[in-house]
Amino acid sequence: MFKFLKKYARQMRLVVGLGLLASVSGQVLAHGERNQEPFLRMRTVHFYDMKWNTTEVPVNGEIVVSGTFRLFPEWPGNLPPPKRVFLGNGTPGPVLARTESWIGDVPAIQSGQLELDRDYTFRSVYKARIPGNHHVHPMLNVEGAGPLLGPGNWLAITGNREDFRLPIDTIDGTHIENLETWGVGTVFKWHALWFAIALVYMLWWLRKPLLMPRFLATEAGNDDLLITRGDRMWGAAFMVGTLVIVVAGANWAEAKYPRTVPLQGGEATWEPLPKQAASVKIAVKRATYDVPGRSMKINVTLTNNGPKPVQVGEFLTAGLRFVNHDVPVAMANIDPLFPKDLIPPSGLKVGDNTPIAPGESRTMMLEATDAAWEVERLTSLINDPDNRVGALVFFFDADGNRSISTLSGPIVPFFGAGK
Amino acid sequence: MASNAHETVDIYGVKWSKWSAALSRRFDIIVAIILFLAVTAAFHLHVMLLVGDWDFWVDWKDRQYWVTLAPVITITFPAALQYVFWEKLRLPFGATFAVVCLIFGEWMNRKFGFYDWSYFPYSLVWPATYIPGAIVLDVTLMLTGNFLLTSLTGAIAYAILFYPSNWVMLAAYHLPVEVMGSLVSVADYIGYAFTRTATPEYLRFIERGTLRTFGGHSAWVASAFAGFLCMLMYIAWWYFGMLMTKVVTVPNKMKTLMGLKADPKRSVEAI
Ligand SMILES: [Cu+2]
Repeated sequence: MFKFLKKYARQMRLVVGLGLLASVSGQVLAHGERNQEPFLRMRTVHFYDMKWNTTEVPVNGEIVVSGTFRLFPEWPGNLPPPKRVFLGNGTPGPVLARTESWIGDVPAIQSGQLELDRDYTFRSVYKARIPGNHHVHPMLNVEGAGPLLGPGNWLAITGNREDFRLPIDTIDGTHIENLETWGVGTVFKWHALWFAIALVYMLWWLRKPLLMPRFLATEAGNDDLLITRGDRMWGAAFMVGTLVIVVAGANWAEAKYPRTVPLQGGEATWEPLPKQAASVKIAVKRATYDVPGRSMKINVTLTNNGPKPVQVGEFLTAGLRFVNHDVPVAMANIDPLFPKDLIPPSGLKVGDNTPIAPGESRTMMLEATDAAWEVERLTSLINDPDNRVGALVFFFDADGNRSISTLSGPIVPFFGAGK
Repeated sequence: MASNAHETVDIYGVKWSKWSAALSRRFDIIVAIILFLAVTAAFHLHVMLLVGDWDFWVDWKDRQYWVTLAPVITITFPAALQYVFWEKLRLPFGATFAVVCLIFGEWMNRKFGFYDWSYFPYSLVWPATYIPGAIVLDVTLMLTGNFLLTSLTGAIAYAILFYPSNWVMLAAYHLPVEVMGSLVSVADYIGYAFTRTATPEYLRFIERGTLRTFGGHSAWVASAFAGFLCMLMYIAWWYFGMLMTKVVTVPNKMKTLMGLKADPKRSVEAI
């Protein structure tokens, strides 16, 4: 026995190792958001000012996810524009029940059109439903472009699935205790009834010799022995009975629920936030991505068109937040519940951190270095047919006022050896 | 040989040895089980692909597409099985059998795939029933004994019966509720609450706006249209059933190259 174990120790270690790897990476990979091509994450929707009200909640507890998103002005040409968009949520199935969702002050229960280069605030309210550890993202589903995910946060739901309730009152005063089970009793009963009727109907013939005997008798032309007067009466009774039950059932439903409405389609109309002219204009001179060094270096010319001196506070792309540690107000802008794995610890290195004076135009380096590029699989940028980087850059003045500019430009990979 | 080998019995006017009769009963049971599983798998797949979301979700069960598509797509296997069951065996339950298989498959799918595996509540994913229409279709064929008459009456009844026989279950989901200041049906809200990550709202292909019908009875107009299509679909699939029961052999030309005797000519029963 032990000899056997010894002999296969290597293989067994491998199996155990692979199993562990699978279980660990299952946690890390969550649900495939990292498989989305970088251009889908860098140049479509940027979510910022994200807030989660909690990261641990019991079943039936409330979760509020809110924030703002900007639709990138240089929307990838290979994607259809956001003509029909739905504010969804990236979760592993319906582990949360969504009770409300808003874009601005307008409900987002339906789909609608969004404008490029505009910002929209949103707020989604959920009720915890299935216990477990879930990765929860905000998401925009864009018709033709698919789901575009925002930053994900881990949410721990405790308690029992059975305790979940989602009550609602209808306009005509019917109280629904739980939408999970509403009407289900009636559905089960009617399905069971029709199953029973169908089985009894068929049993009339099933109980008698069936296949070969009937086949030979059919071939012999013994029709009157195969389908008798009794068979016809039996069938006719079922036909009449079926019609009576269908009509009675439909009438019962009409009487019980006299006021019903059809499914509601329609489209929503959402207002973006008032447009604020970016106080700083960004021109990308050269951007490189150092593959072995996991470092993005962007040489930019920043022109301050605003009234006050500003500093570069944050570089945000694909949900990653590279924050300039030397700008306290930028650091204060991070919500304590914001997922730590999306805030690279080394932050953003800025070539010259002195405030850029109004009217000044300064060329300098922005450097974002972290393994997160690899972890988030943004290095596959070099596989994209349209190698461009897109990001939001936050500028802060001395009073803590923020202005947001978009950064966009081609990017050149650097593989280590030579140039 | 069994002791009852020489005793004979008359079944539907054909003489059988008791032994063969007992054996044929065992054959009945085995074939019935295999047929049940095969029709369940094939018919369920067919409906999943062609009716799909309209029958998966309560907030897709609208008065237009669902009411039209579901009967038209589901009259197929019943029609084909009716040919086999009626023409070859004089059994008047081909449609009922097909539909029982389908609904059994759907419930297995809802229970294990949607409810257990994906956490969807039954209120969102219950399937429609087609049994009332199937019984009427079967009895029509038995009483008329004619597939053309069955298509002209039974197939239309199959489509017309679809909506009222499901309205019993669906009505509760069409109560009006107010959510965030908008009017929606309970079904809409269930679909909204229990999110389908990969099926956003805009993918819903439901009746939008008016169907320009008299008094808003769109479900009945759609049912009548479905009835017309069912009539044609029924005939097409009756012929399908006919083709399926033909034994066709194709001669193997390779045989002569290998020095074997050539196959007899292509055998085709007159179609
Ligand atoms: Cu995730």
